[in-house]
Amino acid sequence: MIHHTMGVDGSYPFLLAVWLLPLLGAILLWAFGPQLGRLGGPLGCAAVGLAFVFTVLSWGAGTQHGAGGALGAHQLLVSWLPGFDFGLLLDPLALLWALIITGVGFLIHVYSIGYMDGDRAFARFFAYLNFFVFAMLTLVLSDNFVGLLIGWGLVGLASYFLIGFWIEKPSAVAAARKAFVLNVVGDVGIMFAIFVMFAATGSTAFGDVFAHAGSFGTTALLTVCVALFVGAAAKSAQIPLHTWLPDAMEGPTPVSALIHAATMVTAGVYLIARCAPLWSQSADAQLLVGTIGGLTALVGAILGVAQWDIKRILAYSTMSQIGYMIMGVGIGAYEGGVAHFFTHAFFKAQLFLGSGLIIHALANEQDVRKMGGLRKKLPFAFVAMATGVLAICGIPGFSGFFSKDQVIYGALEHGHPWLYAVGIVTAGITAYYMCRMLFVTFLGSYRGDVDPSDLGMRHPELAGTAHADDGHDGHDGHAHAPAWYMNVPVGILIVPTVLIGWLMFGGENSPWAHFFAGQFPVWHPGAAPISETLTTVIVLVVVVIGIGLAYWRYATAAALADAIPRLREESIRMPAVLTNLFYFDAAIDLLFVRPAQLLGTVFGRFLDPHVIDGGVRDVAAGARWLGVLTRSFQTGLVRAYALFVVFGALLFVAYYAFAGSIR
Amino acid sequence: MIGFLFLAVVLIASAVWVVTAKKPVYSVVGLLAHFAALAAMYISLSAEFLGVVQIIVYSGAILVLFVFVIALLSSGVDPFSVGPNRLPKAAVPAGLLVLGSLALTAYGVFHATAAAAPLRPGGPGGRAGDANAFGSVADFGKALFTVHLLPFEITALVLMVAVIGVILLAGEKPPSAGTAERAAKVRREMREAIVRAGDE
Amino acid sequence: MLQVAITNYIALSATIFFIGVAGVLLRRNPLIMLMSIELMWNAANLLFLAFSRMWGNNAGHIFAFLVITVAAAEAAIGLAIVVIVFRNAKNVDVDEVAGLRG
Repeated sequence: MIHHTMGVDGSYPFLLAVWLLPLLGAILLWAFGPQLGRLGGPLGCAAVGLAFVFTVLSWGAGTQHGAGGALGAHQLLVSWLPGFDFGLLLDPLALLWALIITGVGFLIHVYSIGYMDGDRAFARFFAYLNFFVFAMLTLVLSDNFVGLLIGWGLVGLASYFLIGFWIEKPSAVAAARKAFVLNVVGDVGIMFAIFVMFAATGSTAFGDVFAHAGSFGTTALLTVCVALFVGAAAKSAQIPLHTWLPDAMEGPTPVSALIHAATMVTAGVYLIARCAPLWSQSADAQLLVGTIGGLTALVGAILGVAQWDIKRILAYSTMSQIGYMIMGVGIGAYEGGVAHFFTHAFFKAQLFLGSGLIIHALANEQDVRKMGGLRKKLPFAFVAMATGVLAICGIPGFSGFFSKDQVIYGALEHGHPWLYAVGIVTAGITAYYMCRMLFVTFLGSYRGDVDPSDLGMRHPELAGTAHADDGHDGHDGHAHAPAWYMNVPVGILIVPTVLIGWLMFGGENSPWAHFFAGQFPVWHPGAAPISETLTTVIVLVVVVIGIGLAYWRYATAAALADAIPRLREESIRMPAVLTNLFYFDAAIDLLFVRPAQLLGTVFGRFLDPHVIDGGVRDVAAGARWLGVLTRSFQTGLVRAYALFVVFGALLFVAYYAFAGSIR
Repeated sequence: MIGFLFLAVVLIASAVWVVTAKKPVYSVVGLLAHFAALAAMYISLSAEFLGVVQIIVYSGAILVLFVFVIALLSSGVDPFSVGPNRLPKAAVPAGLLVLGSLALTAYGVFHATAAAAPLRPGGPGGRAGDANAFGSVADFGKALFTVHLLPFEITALVLMVAVIGVILLAGEKPPSAGTAERAAKVRREMREAIVRAGDE
Repeated sequence: MLQVAITNYIALSATIFFIGVAGVLLRRNPLIMLMSIELMWNAANLLFLAFSRMWGNNAGHIFAFLVITVAAAEAAIGLAIVVIVFRNAKNVDVDEVAGLRG
């Protein structure tokens, strides 16, 4: 049996606490939900909070360097079949993800106490949230691919539960189903990769597979990488498996913040970063992943320009930023990609929670055309959203600035000038649409009581606007200030949104680089035609152009005065290709959904009743016929029976007389 | 050869008579003739003991049994009798086919044996009481009680089983009549007891 | 050594056997059927003894003896059954007894 070579062997029980506390919380909340009632919220927060504490306590163990390049702490759980040992691994990569999952998760749990207040299924929500945290921790803490796949699947399940949380809303249920089906496609990809890995190395543990990465052979390695990427693309909403992410916004805003911004959709990034030893050996795979990441970033940004629902704007923004991350880790800029995940987790959660403040205050209004002037009405939300927007645009000093530049420059360093260009252009578009959102929502005067058709909203339901029946029973329908539960986490998140990027300041000597020392394969950059400083300047220029464009269209005094007709014009004139989201949904519907439905009909109408059922019926009829035939011999007449006896005797004698020998 | 032919004719004729006689009693008479001729045939084959056994057991016991049973049943039925023939129509040609095939098979056996059978010299019988004489009582007895002891014992068992079976089957009192009477009696007594108890 | 060739005995035995079979299949009186069965037994006996004489082997005698015994037992039981079944019957006709009809 191949033995582990990664991680420091030896038990580290705190890992179990980190991993299992959320599960315990989930089970208690599931089992005793109705009895707990409002206590469910604090219970769920406590479970995740404690898990966060234990994660922090594990910092030392997670970053220790052991013998032979081994990294982090390892806890073996179950020794199952040869090659299938299950255990927990906490190295810097896993530690980072675990901190985000439990830390940001904790803040979002607290936020949810306020946001979901009065909901009928309050405790169930926290049960699902806890379950999600547990599943995500399973994913990142596993030390082998099968455990990762289990976590992968469970996370998809948690996502299904949470997107479709308001079960009486048909659009939510449909969105949950769509997300789950697309995620299953990814699951199959990972499974296939596991098969190939196991066939090549006889084990599924990270340490064993990576140690033998060189012995795969080019085709096998490429197959594994592509299969893994299919999984990553499905989970991280990369083209063409991205169509579920915008629809996933049907779930409650805390859900969108936690799993569709900060954590679950980054599982693909984690996977590729984890499998860095594999990717580093296959330039083709790197090119593929980088290209799709870059393409997704661009497409996401373009589509973000065309959205009117505040959550959908953020959804496409997420898709685009994850495109950056995937591009980063895909081409080999691991630290850059992971850095962008880190900063994005904070500012995207911030943006979503801030939008949640707005939605909650406006009694579930989500269309930005009906907002406006909220700077005076909801000043705290304005500050929160503004910091988030500044971070995502990459304004110097804010967190996003450091990480995004690392990714863009990394593309050039690793020899992908086209991706470099795409990254720069996307940064500009990002700045444009994020500022568009900010200006339209917060500046000018409040348009809440303007007739929707005056704003160009022909199909309010398609734009994802207010759903009156989304389960918020406790509210009386008019705008009111949110409770402290919601404000405090948002306030806390302002700090890292602004400042956390400074951890990456200093290149090779930054705390960030020290943290990840030894984690990723070492790579020495060649000479890049454009220096890093110049890149920073170019990006800054593009960003300023984007902000300027947005300002000119939406924020000048003239634009604000004319807001309503301008918005109407823009709504009516929006190109169809953008409104139909580049026709991805239509294509998937045509290629997969319709044929599947056709197949179902064929089976249901024809094959099942006639062939399958008919076959069974024919067998039964045959048995009956055989019975009738045999019964015809039972005449009850002695003479007939005597005849049969004579027949039998005849056969025997004939055999012996003519064929056989007499013994 | 003459003797054989004569006996053969008798055998066949009596067999046909048995099968075709109108009344069972006539068949019994034919069967008697058949057995007698058979015994003669046995003796001609130096199987003296068996010839005598044939007369004693078959003609003396079995035929008498047949006669008793015929007497027991009021058997005045024609061979081509009153009730409708319930055998399916197809059975008649089937039966004829069967008979024909049997004949054909026997013919095949006949020829096969004729071709393959060498004739071995066997000693004809000696004086009566000679223990070595083929077919004598002593010879037969010696073989029966030494070489073939087991079949002999099993046959004894078979006979015992047959006797027990016959007694059980055709015994005197049919059980159903008795039980029905007794059950009715018990029910009557119980009813009376209940009525009496109600009166008290 | 047989005075008569064995083939004659075979032919005779076969003939009697077939007559017995015909009787079993074609007659409807159970007693006559039983008697036809006796014919078949005896045909077999005849052949046993003929071959026994031909080979000079005693075993044929023994076997014929056993056949007689078993035939006797069988006749007894068969007649007992006939008695029971047809004790109170109107016709002694085997075709009427079709209780096993399924």
